[in-house]
Amino acid sequence: MLGNLGGLVGFGSLLHPSIAKQIEEKQKQVCLIWLDGGISQYESWHPLPESKFAGPFRSIKTSIPGIHFSELLPNTAKIAHKISVIRTMATKDPNHSTGVPRMQRGDPLDRGVDYPYLGSAVAKLLGPAEPELPPYVWIKPGNGGFIHREAGFLDARYGALALGDGRPPVHIHRPDGVTAELDAARNALRQKANERFRAYRNTSDVDAYETSYDMARKLMARKEIFDDEKLDPKDRERYGLHPLGRHVLQARQLLEAGVRFVKVNSYHWDTHGDNFNMSQRLVPQADQPFAALINDLDDRGMLDNTLVVMMSEFGRTPLINSRLGRDHWPDCWSIALAGCGIKRGAIIGDTTKDGAFVNGEGYDVGHLFHTIFSVLGIQSHRQKYRHKGQKLSIANDDCEPIKEVML
Amino acid sequence: MLKNLFDILLGNMPWFAMSLVLGFPLSGEQGLHNRIDDLVWAKAGDVPFAETADDAGFLRRVTLDLSGNIPTAGEVSEFLADKSKGKRKELIDRLIAGDQFAAHWTERFSVMLLERLDQGKVPKGEWVKFLKQTLRKKPLWDVMIRQMIEANGQGVDRPAMKFLGTVDHHAMTENIARLLLGMDLTCAKCHDHPSVNEWKQAHYWGLFAYLNQTKQATHKKEEKVYLVEGLAGKKVEFESVFDLEKMSTGPRLPNGAEVEIPQFEKGEEYEKPAEDGLPAVPKFRPRERLAKDLTAKENELFSRNSVNRIWFLLMGRGLSHPLDQMHGKNSPSHPKLLELLAGEFVSHGFDLKWLLREIMLSETYQRSSRLPEGVTKVEPASYRVTSPKGLTPEQLLRAVLRATGNTKHAKALKVDPEAEKFDRKGYFTGSNVELPPSLAEMEAIFIQTFGRPPGEAEVDFSPGVNKSLFLMNDRLIEHWLKPRAGNLIDRLSKMDAPDAMAKEMYLAVLSRLPEKEEAIWIADYLARNEPRRTAALGDLAWALLNSAEFMFNH
Repeated sequence: MLGNLGGLVGFGSLLHPSIAKQIEEKQKQVCLIWLDGGISQYESWHPLPESKFAGPFRSIKTSIPGIHFSELLPNTAKIAHKISVIRTMATKDPNHSTGVPRMQRGDPLDRGVDYPYLGSAVAKLLGPAEPELPPYVWIKPGNGGFIHREAGFLDARYGALALGDGRPPVHIHRPDGVTAELDAARNALRQKANERFRAYRNTSDVDAYETSYDMARKLMARKEIFDDEKLDPKDRERYGLHPLGRHVLQARQLLEAGVRFVKVNSYHWDTHGDNFNMSQRLVPQADQPFAALINDLDDRGMLDNTLVVMMSEFGRTPLINSRLGRDHWPDCWSIALAGCGIKRGAIIGDTTKDGAFVNGEGYDVGHLFHTIFSVLGIQSHRQKYRHKGQKLSIANDDCEPIKEVML
Repeated sequence: MLKNLFDILLGNMPWFAMSLVLGFPLSGEQGLHNRIDDLVWAKAGDVPFAETADDAGFLRRVTLDLSGNIPTAGEVSEFLADKSKGKRKELIDRLIAGDQFAAHWTERFSVMLLERLDQGKVPKGEWVKFLKQTLRKKPLWDVMIRQMIEANGQGVDRPAMKFLGTVDHHAMTENIARLLLGMDLTCAKCHDHPSVNEWKQAHYWGLFAYLNQTKQATHKKEEKVYLVEGLAGKKVEFESVFDLEKMSTGPRLPNGAEVEIPQFEKGEEYEKPAEDGLPAVPKFRPRERLAKDLTAKENELFSRNSVNRIWFLLMGRGLSHPLDQMHGKNSPSHPKLLELLAGEFVSHGFDLKWLLREIMLSETYQRSSRLPEGVTKVEPASYRVTSPKGLTPEQLLRAVLRATGNTKHAKALKVDPEAEKFDRKGYFTGSNVELPPSLAEMEAIFIQTFGRPPGEAEVDFSPGVNKSLFLMNDRLIEHWLKPRAGNLIDRLSKMDAPDAMAKEMYLAVLSRLPEKEEAIWIADYLARNEPRRTAALGDLAWALLNSAEFMFNH
């Protein structure tokens, strides 16, 4: 199959444009690394050691001359030329309760509906990259399951298959004592049992039911992609043995298998007190697997088709509070992107000298969503959702893609 | 059409003789069920219809619809053996009067009206008990709905207040419009509906104006929360996000006139002074007024929505479908039928059991889900063939338990009060390898797997990978397919003749007799697996449980 595809690509000029587009779209994948709460821009992407708001950490040189990151990002500093950083996010909302949905839904103009989270939106707009794999997998600490809430007003099936602590839902495993042979035999019985019922009926209902079994069996057959036992110990070292490291490595495995969208969550990025000790512990946990993932995707030739985004709900206040903490700061903060349609080495954003505010207009999450959709080949202004007879924009109508970071 | 035929054939017969010939009593006019059929036939024209469902298919359908379960193997055999003419009608009557009717329809209405949200001050159990008691007697739909809208927490109707949830005025407005009037007015909160011309922003706010005085108040001595109404002195103001024009309205039904808000002299506004923490009771209480106006006989939006939803619960789709899009652009499949049902429901005093019975007596309801000879596809909205409906999560659990002969066992489970709370999340992730300790916990697991997310209407059956994975691989299913005294596999393993086994298995699981090839197929598999016969019986039952025929009510 892959050989055939190679052949087709080889005769690129003979290929019908729409097929070429399909192949291209098919390959586009996303990994969203979500740092729940807010990573401090001063302790990461925008250190400004000379400013009055600086903390105790040094800034270090990156692989791009003249660009510095915090010393807490040593691995990422070495690959700065492979990524883009936007230092002028200005996202308006400083609250946790609304911050997560606003950022992950992209804040389209209010139409009185619950918009899908990014993963569900991409699952809907691009579909699965591999037909037998769920389009949206979410790796997170804690509990897993099928999280339909993420789909918002879209059908529940666009929700996330969540791997709690990296583990797939238990029902993907055959019960103990059911061998592969027996499983196949039982399935043959099941199909046989369906025959009579199927024969004289409107086929659509029965077929949809049958399809769900086909999908289930295909997923069971590929359950090794959820199995982190087989991962190379050297890779584990490189990504880090902490949950975020393990989960980003697992994300790589899922992306390689062909899952369209993988979200990895890390919690407790909320340093209202003791920001510096906490950052010293937390930021390297993001640095290590992020850099490793970018390098691995690049080595495998996947980076140009895989978008990686690492972001939070907001940044953290320039002012250090009385508990040596930094509070929520949506007015000027940083996010990192790489891969698919994103420039390599574009570290952008003009801020005031101390980094507290954007000089001019900053970028809101609406701009970010237009950017993400655009690099995935989705026409972010033209394509619409249909919901109860209403046409709904997929991203905020008042925003545009962030051209500065796009190829 | 049918009536003319009667006239020709039976014109000279005395009425009691006709009654004998036709198998049902004749009053002065045709029963509603005949008129339903006439309208469905008339609409379809001269095209083939599916045959009437066979006895086994009819029994399974009616038992699921009225009692929420599949029939037992014994019930199937008995019904097949019964040669009396009126047995279908008798079965419907018996089940409507039966114990399980109230329990099952409590579930159906509760899921429809609360959409699996458990909100407000009334515990779920009290709400269920209230609905059950109502449904055990002679339930009148307008009265039930009236109780829910006007609920103030006083008296024996207190549980009805659960329908109003957390007393969020916008949620109440949207739910009442959607669930009771068939109008999804969510879009009309901020502007006239963009694609449905007749749905205006004023409709949304007119309903809102009936509800926005409602609040919760705690009775000091009883320490109980009641729903009270504040003083409605003024109209509600609103503006469209498009043109920012200021508008206002008093309480108003979408198809009715605005209710004038009575103005009282200062000091004359109240009927009863404040006491025990409850505020003074105003003379004008718009929500109470809504309860009456909305459920009035004259309100066609209400009667049409009511019959549409009841029809949906039995037929798997609404005459007007989707259920919350009852407007001019979305014409009903059978407008005259919808009108007829609504009118008859009203003139029979919103008698729920009467309506269910009439629909179920119709040939339309009793048609087979097998396509007519030589036809490969039929539009579901034509009702020329019965569309399969997915089992509800609760029906499915009961059906699996009954099919596998584990009902008694599951019901007998007693939760150890000392035991730790069952870790349901762990059950799905694999960190909890225990079996659920109670029937209630099993039900919660089935609802989580097969139900829609709380807050979403449970209308269409949607197969899903996680659902299939569950039925294939869940520990409960596996557990129930192991032999235990008296359960299906135990009974089968003690039989000798493969024919008898096939018969027992098909009666228990699929509620019908196996066809010849099916019996052969069963015998074959058992013969090939002779050394592991009990396990092989489990394989076969597993296959039948996982078949579309089992998963659907058809």
